[in-house]
Amino acid sequence: MKALSVAKKDFRDAAQSRALWALVGVFVVLLLITTYGYSEFPELFGPLDEATFEGLIFFTSSITSLFIPVAAIIVCFKSLAGERELGSIKILLSLPLTRTDALGGKLLGRAGVLSAAVLVGLVIALGFGAALVGSVAVVPLLLFVALSVGFAAVYVNIMVSLSALSATTSRAITYALGFFVAFELAWDVVPLAVVYVANGFSLPEQIPEWTFLVSQFSPSTAYFTSVIALLPDAATDVGVTVGGGGPGEVDPTAADPFYVTPEAGFVFLAFWLVVPVVLGYRRFVSVDL
Amino acid sequence: MPAIDISNLTKHFGDVVALDGLDLTVEEGEIFGFLGPNGAGKSTAIDIMLDFTRPTSGNVAVLGHDVQREGLAVRKRIGVLPDAYHVYDRLTGRQHLEFAAEVKETDEDPAAILERVGIADAADRKAGGYSKGMKQRLVLGIALLGDPDLLVLDEPSTGLDPNGAKEIRDIIREENERGTTVFFSSHVMEQVEAVCDRVAIINRGDLVAVDTVDGLRSATERGETLHLQVADTSPSVVEAVGEVAGVETVAVEDGRLRVTLGDRSKFDVMEAVDEIVAVEDFSVSTTSLGDLFIHYTNEEQEVRA
Repeated sequence: MKALSVAKKDFRDAAQSRALWALVGVFVVLLLITTYGYSEFPELFGPLDEATFEGLIFFTSSITSLFIPVAAIIVCFKSLAGERELGSIKILLSLPLTRTDALGGKLLGRAGVLSAAVLVGLVIALGFGAALVGSVAVVPLLLFVALSVGFAAVYVNIMVSLSALSATTSRAITYALGFFVAFELAWDVVPLAVVYVANGFSLPEQIPEWTFLVSQFSPSTAYFTSVIALLPDAATDVGVTVGGGGPGEVDPTAADPFYVTPEAGFVFLAFWLVVPVVLGYRRFVSVDL
Repeated sequence: MPAIDISNLTKHFGDVVALDGLDLTVEEGEIFGFLGPNGAGKSTAIDIMLDFTRPTSGNVAVLGHDVQREGLAVRKRIGVLPDAYHVYDRLTGRQHLEFAAEVKETDEDPAAILERVGIADAADRKAGGYSKGMKQRLVLGIALLGDPDLLVLDEPSTGLDPNGAKEIRDIIREENERGTTVFFSSHVMEQVEAVCDRVAIINRGDLVAVDTVDGLRSATERGETLHLQVADTSPSVVEAVGEVAGVETVAVEDGRLRVTLGDRSKFDVMEAVDEIVAVEDFSVSTTSLGDLFIHYTNEEQEVRA
């Protein structure tokens, strides 16, 4: 239970990060502008002529899927590496607690901070959106907010674990940005590049179906896919599909039922929730500080 | 049961040998000084006691618990002022102590501790704005919380002015009178000399001496040093002075001869030196632990008589 004490202290500390709240400010402003754009000109963003609350949710999710990873990097990259680099971890670990408590406390504390930031941003933006659209779909709203908080926890786990692997903050930010570039920016290209090379430096007429599954492995794509899995009817109405990107980018080729099962998103999110922490934990409990 | 029992402790960092088979026992109830130049291995030994670093070989038991296997049991009973620590800049002094009290499961009032270490006025300011000395007091306060059986203080007077250093010494004595064993490392000889029952001197990862301050003094020198302002400090003079009866060591220091004495009268020695080279002025000092420290860790600078 010492982890909870660490989490509380860590929340107090990290919640005072100016960089985080500046980013939340940018996030909210961006959401307000785009929400206004969507509610005024829905035909630009999807097949429906009329803005719906469900459409707004999908629209918002394409922004949170970028905001949450970036905010997680800012909130978490220093979490353990910074304490090691500066030496505050010596105060922490001189107290009667274990390294497991310290890591667990960091995960809980930072997840709390990022969840709070996500909640603040979503409440303001979706509240504003609901007022513009003139309706609220309560169940989809709650499911979406819960999933977004869960996605924030997933990204906190990834980033705190990378920080646990690092002795310095410069190493930690390198890992964090490297992860972001590899799994968020470049990930869509990787399977296609493999196919391209394997096919003798040309793209086959039919893209192999496994590439769709691989592309959903990226955490933010898994999150987006999970939103579709939670709100399948709304997804159909709004015209978003798995592997097809956001609203308005309907991809009729992405149709195979096995490879495009939206539930795969949950499996991948569970992977990202657990595996990085196991690796970070094993290193952190054995390393010389 | 000893408070600290270090046996055959070795730690390598790559090619660097930080500790080389260190053996040391600290008894319960004593104030023990752990002395050595920078890089001697003091902090490495303390880091292993706290399980921040794992030894290459050897064992450390603190209050009867193995520090690696039962680290939590150890940390429940000790208070620590670590070396090269950093406070949580965005938390206040009071928040630091509230957190520590929660983790240590003590009901002790953070305000009383803040009062005791002399930063009650700054309790609700963020610790990032504290001076070095205030941070040192804050972390000492964290160490004192929960009435530990052993205090481990790594360079406790760093960043403190002479008054602050004296206050720390007073706190160390008070704690010791309440039955707390105190283990502290320092390269500030006066701190160690003033409060310690026993002192260990380590150099290059190994113990070179362990004794009471008086014991160390009598084991090496008779305790008095002559500082002689002379006309000529050339090597031939130094050599000649070294052969005077009663002179144990001679060195040139700040343009003067620094002569440590055996069991002869200092007037006899001074007259004998005056015959070799004219003595223009002189002063006498009692050997400080600092001299002993230099003696043990830097012998090659001395010209042995």
